[in-house]
Amino acid sequence: VTTRRAFLRTTSLTGAVLLLDIGKDAVAASPAASFTPIAHVRIDTDGTTTLFVDKVEMGQGVRTSLATILAEELDADWTRVRVETAQPGSAFPNMHTAGSGSVSDAWRGLRQAGASARAMLVAAAARTWRVPAASCRTEAGAVFHDASGRRLDYGRLSSRAAQVLVPAKAPLKTESEFRIVGRPRLRVDGPAIVTGTALYAADIRIPGLKFATLVRCPVEGGTLRSWDAAEARARPGVRGVLAISNGVAVVADCTWAALKGREALRVEWNPGRNAGFSTAALREERLAAARRGGTVARDDGDVAGAFKNAAQVLEAEYEDAYQAHASVETLACVADVSAERCEIWVGTQSPNRARSIAAEVCGLPEERVVVHVTLLGGAFGRRIANDFVREAVEIAKLVRSPVQLLWTRGDDTHHDYFHPAQNHVVRAALDATGALVGLQHSAADSSLTMFGEPDRNDPETFQHWGAHDNPYAIPALRTDLALFDSPVRTGAWRSVAYPPSVFARESFIDEIAHATRRDAVELRRGLLSEPRMAQIPGGRPLDRHRLRRVLEEAAERSGWGSPLPAGRGRGIACNAYHRSTCVAQAAEVTASLGQLRIDRIVSVVDCGTVVNPLGAAGQVESAIAWGLTAALKSEITIRNGRVEQSSYRDYPVLRIDEMPEVEVHFVHTPDAPARGLGEQCVPTVAPAVMNALFAATGRRVRRLPYRSIA
Amino acid sequence: MAHRLEVNGQWHDVDASPDTPLLWVLRDQLSLTGTKFGCGLGICGACTIEVAGRAARACQIALGEVAGSSIRTVEGLSADGDHPVQRAWLAEDVAQCGFCQPGMLMEAACLLAARRDVSDRDIDEALRDHVCRCGTYQRIRRAVHRAAGISR
Repeated sequence: VTTRRAFLRTTSLTGAVLLLDIGKDAVAASPAASFTPIAHVRIDTDGTTTLFVDKVEMGQGVRTSLATILAEELDADWTRVRVETAQPGSAFPNMHTAGSGSVSDAWRGLRQAGASARAMLVAAAARTWRVPAASCRTEAGAVFHDASGRRLDYGRLSSRAAQVLVPAKAPLKTESEFRIVGRPRLRVDGPAIVTGTALYAADIRIPGLKFATLVRCPVEGGTLRSWDAAEARARPGVRGVLAISNGVAVVADCTWAALKGREALRVEWNPGRNAGFSTAALREERLAAARRGGTVARDDGDVAGAFKNAAQVLEAEYEDAYQAHASVETLACVADVSAERCEIWVGTQSPNRARSIAAEVCGLPEERVVVHVTLLGGAFGRRIANDFVREAVEIAKLVRSPVQLLWTRGDDTHHDYFHPAQNHVVRAALDATGALVGLQHSAADSSLTMFGEPDRNDPETFQHWGAHDNPYAIPALRTDLALFDSPVRTGAWRSVAYPPSVFARESFIDEIAHATRRDAVELRRGLLSEPRMAQIPGGRPLDRHRLRRVLEEAAERSGWGSPLPAGRGRGIACNAYHRSTCVAQAAEVTASLGQLRIDRIVSVVDCGTVVNPLGAAGQVESAIAWGLTAALKSEITIRNGRVEQSSYRDYPVLRIDEMPEVEVHFVHTPDAPARGLGEQCVPTVAPAVMNALFAATGRRVRRLPYRSIA
Repeated sequence: MAHRLEVNGQWHDVDASPDTPLLWVLRDQLSLTGTKFGCGLGICGACTIEVAGRAARACQIALGEVAGSSIRTVEGLSADGDHPVQRAWLAEDVAQCGFCQPGMLMEAACLLAARRDVSDRDIDEALRDHVCRCGTYQRIRRAVHRAAGISR
């Protein structure tokens, strides 16, 4: 039990800002109380150290990596560390988990918090021994005074440490002092996962739990016209049928009864203004817009002059498709609502937002809402939205017993927030020597409804990821974006807007190399040499040599340039993700009789300090599977406002027999900050593979997903 | 209607309609939630269990079909989490989000119970009807090979 509270909070938006908040009960605490120097750490008197992770676990390994970072600076004994997911509230105001930001934010904020807690433990030991703090050291959950041969366990220091003032800025370790960071570490949730005891939202079983399913309008923006529940209510096990803001819910004693009840339910809809929408028609508009050009966001050098004086102009058009998230766990949320309080169990990427939504629906202050964040069975950006939380709480409020809302596979596919398709038109001006002297990259994309209306007065809105932050040194470079309002639900998807842009850019560089008879690695190396720092409007400069280094290493490790048998080819692509993590990937493919097989992908990544090499390599492997699915397998289409796919049958994803051999290498830069890795290795997959296909066959694929010509 | 079922070595009396998929009996009535719902169509493999020694999709089997059969779920794979596939899965740090893994583990356990000399191709064939959206496939292959070694 924690009675002594000396909170130290880190705000992850601004980095290492520490707020000290000693609770009123601190003075009254008993000497045996556990030590809670910061909201993220609790040290019990037996030395058990609980680390509260305030980011959600969706497979990216954040419960392991953040605990690793915290344990490192704290010098905790890893064998006595327990990891718990925090609950959103005043102690944890920002659990939002997205944009590959958890580790890089923690590197600035959480590390400092761990170091402060350690400094307090050292101060407590020094005070006990009446020695200078500087003569003490820490290791594996204990403070040592080597001169006198004394040692005190953190557990025994916990009550005294809580009386020490929290230092605002304790010194951080340097890389040479790391004992935990940088070593391969097994995922903390592994044992629960392999025994089937890991809990996802649909696994919550509490007394009185009812099971619900919800019928929604198949067309986004439609409204309920009428419904007839007589037959559904007559089904065994069905306890109620009720309308909520987003559809009609069937509540039953078990999931199967709810599903059978739903089958018997008759609902009529007013489909609304999107009833005529089709992705095919929007594609025509988007293509025309990309050809016309949109709002210019970057305009370096004399682009008009470069094209006017060009000896040769190349042009190509690229595009991708609408994509779903298709996590294996469908959305689910358990809610228990009474007049006084609301409790929910959910796997969401935005727990604090889920809490405010639940409070709003229930008409309760947020303090009366408890959110238990379970594991997420995949998320990839979909669970930034809490639409399913609102639905579950609305149902539970009407039913007055705990309810689990479960989405079917069809629900999950039809009512996703899709990655919108993009069109790109790229033109290159080459001089008489074949040098790239001008580039114009025009993109057409749709806004993401998940984030509300885009601000068209904000120049950042038009800085299209992957096009705007083109890393290459090109004397004249212009990028523009035509942005459509999306009539369907669109949202963040692993690496968001990058994949189609990088597919266009990196395929086009390959096309330029072939057109000018230069090697694709040599061409890129030349464009990543001088000037070293790329000045890109709207953000920090990019060190081109970091990108050049991963490119060179990927070329070397993939055997770039060595001969391959007929029908096989190699391709390469590179990218600097938001001028931070740098990635190069080299793909090797076999093409025969119209069939494309991906044999091998070599990834070289500079994400700064690698917190956990085992988990980090897993993220790269995972990103490759993600990139391959979008490049080779899947596509969402919408006709008459209705999503045409319903499951993995018509929205196929990569399977084990299609997974290539994947090799992952990390570039080591001493004392570099840790950077993001969840999304960064997705965008280069498609261009590396399609460049390899071209090398193997001479066939240039400019539209994704790949379609076999056989 | 009551049905007798043997699950993980224990007999249960289940009162449910005979057409109820075994998946919902396990999850909602017996609270064995290690067996996951992924699609309800038999195409993602998340609900894979062992029925009479063979891997089967719990969402595609009606309760009435399995009365009297011996059923094993991930919870019954071992008493202490030390079945060779579980040990191998941990050693290779396979799981990411973990949601598909119980189904993968059950399929791999059934594969290795039938034969121990498995090639990459055998593994791919046995597991190609399972979806892992995190793409842990490379580590799954390694883990099955490792588990085959432990089994011996």
